[in-house]
Order: sequence, then C-alpha cells, then structure tokens
Amino acid sequence: MRILILIFFLNLFVSHKALALIEIDITRGNLDPLPIAVSPLHVDVKSEEYKDIKVKELGDNISKIIEKNFRNTGLFNPLKKDAFVQKPDIAHLKPRFEDWRLIKAQALVTGKLLVKGEKLKVEFRLWDLTAAKEITALAFTTTPSNWRRVAHIISDKIYERLTGEEGYFDTRIIYVAESGPKNQRIKKLAIMDQDGANTKYLTLGNELVLTPRFNPTNQMVTYMSYFRNMPRVYLLDIETGTQEIVGNFPGMTFAPRFSPDGKKIIMSFAKDGNSDIYTMELESRIVERITEHSSIDTSPSFSPDGKFIAFNSDRSGLQQIYIMRSDGSNVKRITFGKGIYGTPVWSPRGDLIAFTKMHKGRFYIGVMRTDGTGERLLTENYYQEAPSWSPNGRVLVFYRETKAGDKGEGFTAKLWSIDITGYNERRLSTKTDASDPSWSSLLTK
Amino acid sequence: MTLKTNLKNILLVIFTTLVLSACSTAKKSGDIDGDVYTGKETVEYLASGVPDRVFFATNKSSLTTKSRETLRKQATFLRKNKKLNVTIEGHADERGTREYNLALGERRANAARDYLMTYGISGKRISVISYGKEKPVNPKSSPISWSQNRRSVTVKVN
Amino acid sequence: MIRSLFYSITFHSAMILLTVLTLPFMLREPIDLPPIVSVELIQISDKTNIPYAPKARKIIEEKKKKEEERVVSEQAPPAAKAKEKPDRIPLPNEEKEEKKIIKKKQNPEEVKPQIRQSSEFEKKEIIDTNQIAALIDKAKEVEAVKREDKNKITQSSRKNSFATGLTLSQEDALRAQIFGCWSVPLGLPYDQNLLVRIKLQLKKDGTILKSEILDHERMNRPGQKFYKVLAESALRAVRLCQPLKVPPTGYDKWKDLQLNFNPTEMLKG
Repeated sequence: MRILILIFFLNLFVSHKALALIEIDITRGNLDPLPIAVSPLHVDVKSEEYKDIKVKELGDNISKIIEKNFRNTGLFNPLKKDAFVQKPDIAHLKPRFEDWRLIKAQALVTGKLLVKGEKLKVEFRLWDLTAAKEITALAFTTTPSNWRRVAHIISDKIYERLTGEEGYFDTRIIYVAESGPKNQRIKKLAIMDQDGANTKYLTLGNELVLTPRFNPTNQMVTYMSYFRNMPRVYLLDIETGTQEIVGNFPGMTFAPRFSPDGKKIIMSFAKDGNSDIYTMELESRIVERITEHSSIDTSPSFSPDGKFIAFNSDRSGLQQIYIMRSDGSNVKRITFGKGIYGTPVWSPRGDLIAFTKMHKGRFYIGVMRTDGTGERLLTENYYQEAPSWSPNGRVLVFYRETKAGDKGEGFTAKLWSIDITGYNERRLSTKTDASDPSWSSLLTK
Repeated sequence: MTLKTNLKNILLVIFTTLVLSACSTAKKSGDIDGDVYTGKETVEYLASGVPDRVFFATNKSSLTTKSRETLRKQATFLRKNKKLNVTIEGHADERGTREYNLALGERRANAARDYLMTYGISGKRISVISYGKEKPVNPKSSPISWSQNRRSVTVKVN
Repeated sequence: MIRSLFYSITFHSAMILLTVLTLPFMLREPIDLPPIVSVELIQISDKTNIPYAPKARKIIEEKKKKEEERVVSEQAPPAAKAKEKPDRIPLPNEEKEEKKIIKKKQNPEEVKPQIRQSSEFEKKEIIDTNQIAALIDKAKEVEAVKREDKNKITQSSRKNSFATGLTLSQEDALRAQIFGCWSVPLGLPYDQNLLVRIKLQLKKDGTILKSEILDHERMNRPGQKFYKVLAESALRAVRLCQPLKVPPTGYDKWKDLQLNFNPTEMLKG
C-alpha cells in the first residue's frame, strides 16, 4: 500500500512537467502482415522480342515473383490484383492514392520495363499510400534472361526499405537432392534460387554426397562425398565445375564449413574411432588440429567474426554444444537443458546460435544466445535437423523427414523454413526430396 | 561359520542372477535386449556359423557379450583365411543428426576392429568406413528397425 | 538412454541390497520373485513439455484465431515451379551475366528521384480535411468510449489522467483506436530501444491538423533504419486512424496529444 502511494506521488511529480500534454503509450498494434499492392510492371510498347522470353508477360511475371517473396516472409500481405483500379503505366507515373487506400493497401509497388537491344531496363517505385508519396525508386539494366533475379533484387530493396533489415530474396540454396527408396537413396548436390526456381544438379548421383555449404562469396561449395568409397571433404567450384579433395587425411573427413573469410575449411577428421576438429587453410594447405579429445567432436561452425567456434561434442557422455576460441582454447559447454543437442550454427548477426535438439524422441529446431541462455524452440517434429541461416539472420532453413512404414514407404525428406520468432513455418518447394540445405549470402550487395 | 557364509554367498549370487534375468526378460520385446538387437533377421554370414554383424545400443559403441562372441567367431574365421581382407562398416540409426552419426558409425566400426585386433588379426587386413545413418538395413521407422540399423558389418573385400 | 541405465542400476542395486538384507528369511520361506520391472524406452514418446518460444506461441495462437475468422488463408502453399532440364553445372556464360548485373547495380544507368522522403518527413504535414468523413454521432461515441475494456489501463494512463483530466475510458478509447490502426513492423529487433514519439494537433472533429515526430532527425541518422521503419509505421497508423473518435467535450484537453509508440512488448511476446 505504501508503495502504491509512493508511486502515486512520484507519478504526480513526473506528470506535472507535461501537464498540458496528454501522453498516450501505444504498446500494442495489430500483427497482421502489412497490406501491400504490387502493380504489374508496365511493359513499354517499344519492347522487342528476346529469345524465348515472353516479353509481354514479363511485367506481370516479375510482379508475381515479388508478391510471392513478400507473402513468404509472413510480414506482408500482397493484395489480390483483381481489386486494382489503376492501369500499371498510369499508376507508375502518379498513383491515385485514395483509390489504392480504398482497397486497404498501405504500400504500393509500381514499375515499368523495356526490352531493347538485348537489354532489359527496369525501374520501380515504392509508394507510401497513407503519406501519399514515393519512398524509394530505383532503375537498373541487365540481360533479359536475368529477369527473375531482377524481381528478387526489387523484392530485396523494398523489403529493406519497409523492414529496416536486409532482404534475402536474391539468394540461392544448395542442398542434397534425394531420390529412390529409403535404404538405397540416390543423392545429388543441387542448387536452386531461394524461391525454388532454376534447379540445377551439380553431381550425377553416382556416389553419396552430404552436407554442402557455401563459401562467403557463393562461388565455392564444400561438401562430403563417398567418391571411390572414401568419405572425404571436397571443394567444388560452382562456376567451373571443378572438384578437389580437401587435404590429405588418412581417414574420414566430414562436417565441413568455411571460415567467415572463406580462407579456411573447418571440419571433423575421424581417426581410430575418434573424431576431432581440424582446419585447413586453402591456399597454403596448412592443416591445424583444433580439438584433441577422446570424445566425438564434430559439426563445427565459426562465429561471423572468426574468433570463436561452436561445435558438437559428447565429452560429457551425450551430444552437447560447446564453444571455444578459434585456436581451440577455452572450451565451454553451453547447453544444459533436457535432451541432447547437435548442429550448432552461428547466426550471421553473431548474436544467436541455431541448433537441433532431441528430447523424448522428438526433434526441435531452436535458437539461443551464444552463451547458451535464452533458448527458444521454434519448431517440433518427428525428425528435423541441420538449420542454416538466411543471410539477414531472420529465417532458418532446415530439413525434415517423415516416418517410414515397413518397406520404407511414406518416407520423405523436405526443406522447411521458419522465422526466428517461431512464426511463419513453410515448406520450400523442391523438385525432389531434399536435405542438408545451405543458404547463400546475397548474390548482389 | 565359513560354510554358512559360503552358502549365503552362493545363494546371493543365484538369487541376484535370477532377479537380473527376470529384469532382462522384462525388457526384452521381440529381439531386443535393452535396446540392442539380438535377433537374426538382417544378419548375413561370412561363413557357416560366422555372423557378419554386431549391434549396438542407442548412442553407444560398446560391445555386448554377444557381440564379442560374434567377433571372436569372425577372428577365428579370419585366422583360417589368412589372405582375406575385410572392411568394417559402421552404421547408426536415423534418430540422430547426420554429422554426429557419421562419427558414431566410425566409432562403432573401430570398436569391432579393435576387438578383432586383440584376437590377433592384423590391423592392416581391416579397413573401416562409416555410413552414419545413410544406409539403413531396415527402412522402417520403429525401435526394432533402428536397433537393426545400429550395427557394424564385416564385409569381405577380396 | 542414460535414464534407463540409471533405472536399471538403481533397481538392480536395490534388488541386491534387498537380497542381502532379507536372505535369512528367504531361506525359510519359498523364494518370492519381485514383480517384473519394465523400463520404458525413451525414443518414442508422443508428447513433451518443451514450450515454444513465447512469442511464437502467442503469434500462432493469434494467427489461429484470425484464420478462424477469415476463410481464405493468406499463406497459400508455394506454387509449383517451372520445369527445367537439370544441367550438371551452370553454364559459364550464365554466371557472367550474373556478374554483369552486379556491376550494373553498383552503377545504375539512371537513378530515379529518390531519398526525398527524409526531407518530407521533416516538414510538418498538414492533412486535407476535405477527404475526411463527416462528424460522427457524438452520443453514440460516448457510449462506445464507456464500453471500452477497462483491462487495458496501464500505469501510464493512470499517470496521465491525473495530470490532464481526461477520464481513463476516454484515454483508453483513443489508445484502442491507434492499436487497431497500427501494423507493427514484425521484423524489428526486440532488443533495441525503439520508442517513437509523435506529437499530434487535432481538430475538433478528430482529424489531424498536424503530426510531428519528436526525434525526427534520428530517422535519417545512419544505423537507425529500424527507428525509421518504426516511425513510418507509427505515422501510417495515425493517418489511417483519422478522424479519431474524440470526446465530445474538453477540446482544450485533448487538442494536443503525444503518442509514444513502443513495440518492445509486442515483439518480445
């Protein structure tokens, strides 16, 4: 009671200063995704045909990709086009804001494009409809076959303008494409755009391949292959298609990842039944041993500043997550919750570690701070693992497997994504079954 | 006095054995003991009476009494066939993360290899490879098939 | 596994202990085997108590509620992809094309008018009252105000009502209107100090004469993108909400309002 009175008086004092002004704290709002209208881009009548691209439909198709990107974020609600009242070309010049507000849009994207002389010119504008003004405009030129990437780049720019953080649409995902019965899986490296388009296979499926990961420039991939029945870490140049074995280890190497500067590969090397963590500098080929322990040490992942390594070890008896300095010193266990933990991956922002947790026969993808506190489990399922971060650190992609029946029927492996808020879980469309996803950084910065 | 103590001890041992066997029977469901597979369903043979594989408990790579027995048979077989080399494949069930399972498979294969070596088989004749959870022998998602998949298999190479 | 091992050891040692202690009696009586102890395997339980992240749960629950209201889901499943022949390796020329776009983007051939928004925000905005709906029936409105949920009262509202003379329900009514209009930018980080203060000047009919962001220069400072996004969302909320349903009397008390937008609670969940 006394405290209440005290608060009463304190409040009286504080508020006397602003006696004339009513202050109202707005601490709540609606969690609906922001309604946004994406008008089809106007195709300039001077446009020429280009190869097999349907130029006339290009404006519509670009706007559809943008819409899909936005819808997939869970942060935006792209409105249905049939409610649109203004023609694309006129809207792009000067939208009638009140018309667009009428369909409850708060933001509007307009644009136009021209295909001429083997060039695609695109410009777009983002309008704040309540303020009745343009807030972003940009134009660029590229080859027409790049039109999907144009749509992704526009999406990134708008996303950044409306959320304050970088987008993640002009990116790719490398993964393992799976086919065939469960006990005779054929696995190939595959790469696709973040939205599932442009799938390409990088290996033929003659040997088992696992855990591909991009380097920071997205040109190289490190992965594990059972080529000639020797399970080793390999390096693949996506541009040239050349592959090489990493290092000259007398046993299995696995669980590779690049260092944040792209100069080293960190991985596990198994010798006489014991797996420890090693790095190899790519240029000098110098191999360095990082951990030396009789337990299994695997799944290493660098912090973005390169100063720390998170890894998986069973030195306590069961799988747990540990961190250490990049030279192997100061090893510290950070997971103490119920269950066992695997696959730590440091977020690009550096403040979180994503992980897989197994508890009572269920699998969870979660995030926690780098000291192990603040654990948040984002999704629970029968089997899922191997989270990989979107370049802006907002979304995780991982793979999920389903239960199989007597002959392995009913078994699937698919890619899924989820926000680090635990919201907006969705399946990524892949042509085949898929696992071990790795998200690239932005292709254009 | 001594006789009484001895008798007591003997009875104690007998009784404990009884209790223990009661417990293990209780845990046995089908061909699983604890969670180590003890059946013959997926087992193949290197030669008559020489099973090719041993099974492990979840997340473990220690050899059970039965596994040791199997491996001793393999060692005898390998001593008789001096020119034969083998690969020991280590496997894990599907209920773990891929990378950890690769390490676990490696550890299991090496546990079998080490045991064969203590019975006089040269390490040069035995190579190991881990497949983690990648090559299940039984594709079903059930405790029995997981126990069949937690295995190390000795395979002839020449 | 550890647990079943633990059980096993515990039970077995208990048995042995029991045997040692009770052996003399056992000798006289027929041996009575203890009941069969079954130890559960831990792999296949269906449920667990591990909670979702608090925010996730909240949003999921709210989402569910909304989905019940709305028949059409916003989150359509991803559409099927265009078919394409798998290539073993991307063609080299394709990669080159991608590089081109990188260059182009760094040096755009034409950059349309942009980045004007900063200056526009600095201007104080005057809203055209012509487009705003007519006055609302005041009597009804008072009733609405009274019906407002009293649970929404926060400490700050108490504080303000002492100072200003607006009744709690009047203030809550204003607050509730803004709540409804404000689309919180969900992508904002929850761990940053993001507070946007907007000063409003209202007309008697509840339309906005003037709106001003108090720290508007912060919006254009580098590294303040999130603040800018929040400020813009707050401005949108205010504009969307007008005309505000205002109390029928006491214009002098509420003609100047300050709204403090603080999303931290929402984002933390």
